[in-house]
Amino acid sequence: MLTRFEHFALTSMAGAEDSPPRANGSLCFAEEWERSVFGVALALAREGHFEWEDFRRNLIAAIGNWERAQTPGDPSWNYYEQWLSALEATILQSGLATSDELSARIAAATALADTQSA
Amino acid sequence: MTDRFHHPDDRETRSAARVRALEALLIEKGIITSRTVDTVLDVFETKMGPFNGARIVAHAWVDPAFKTRLIEDAPAAIAEMTDLPEGMAGAEGEHMRAVANGEGVHNLVICTLCSCYPWPVLGLPPYWYKDPTFRSRAAREPRAVLKEFGLTVPDSTEVKVWDSSAQIRWFVVPERPAGTEGMSESELAALVTPESMMGVAVAASP
Repeated sequence: MLTRFEHFALTSMAGAEDSPPRANGSLCFAEEWERSVFGVALALAREGHFEWEDFRRNLIAAIGNWERAQTPGDPSWNYYEQWLSALEATILQSGLATSDELSARIAAATALADTQSA
Repeated sequence: MTDRFHHPDDRETRSAARVRALEALLIEKGIITSRTVDTVLDVFETKMGPFNGARIVAHAWVDPAFKTRLIEDAPAAIAEMTDLPEGMAGAEGEHMRAVANGEGVHNLVICTLCSCYPWPVLGLPPYWYKDPTFRSRAAREPRAVLKEFGLTVPDSTEVKVWDSSAQIRWFVVPERPAGTEGMSESELAALVTPESMMGVAVAASP
């Protein structure tokens, strides 16, 4: 049976602790960057740059780490922040980028963001 | 964008900046393109989702002959609707079957084995769909479960529970609400929620 990767990827998460937020059967993004980071992870796995299951393992680990560090019901919870941290980890593990490349880019981008929001 | 979650603004800004940096790096390396995200999201936002099921139900409401064909052979009937995105009757859609609510009968779809779900027409399943308690209780005491969803089914109405499987994925054609005479198909489609197509709700009132 022909199954789209997008379908496989999302149903593999259905009901699990790493399942993305949904509203009325649709994905639910509060911010544009959440939509982007979702799409990049799915696209990389679909193109075979890493295994979906490897990404999910990192996502579950990121969620677990966050939960251990916070009190239950902490309002600062953001699913896609965990998704982002899992994606960064998976990109490094799969060799798509080096840790130096990534941290240089991120340092520059967040420094710029801090100046803009200051 | 709605302000559904409250975060310190600087955290949001920093996350957004990290994602932009990541995307830019991957584009520069030729791993993805600037169109990649939109292409992936297009599947969820325009091709496969509950908006398709809503259009199929609305069409069945205005065309009783189509409704009959839909119940008899859902993939074939859906294939008639040539303006739906491709893949509706293929992929997961090929095992789809529809059941209609009507006088004296209410249908509820569950899945006791796995996350069998007609994704092309209903979108992503809600978090409780795979919950073992929901599934076993819905099979055992569907009226009580429906009541908890806010839906009281009269005793005179039979509740039929359909268990989706890898072989057959069910969806419900809810009843057309009263007071919708003269509404267009697209106006009607707006009343068809994913929950109503799972049988845990009725279609919205206009």
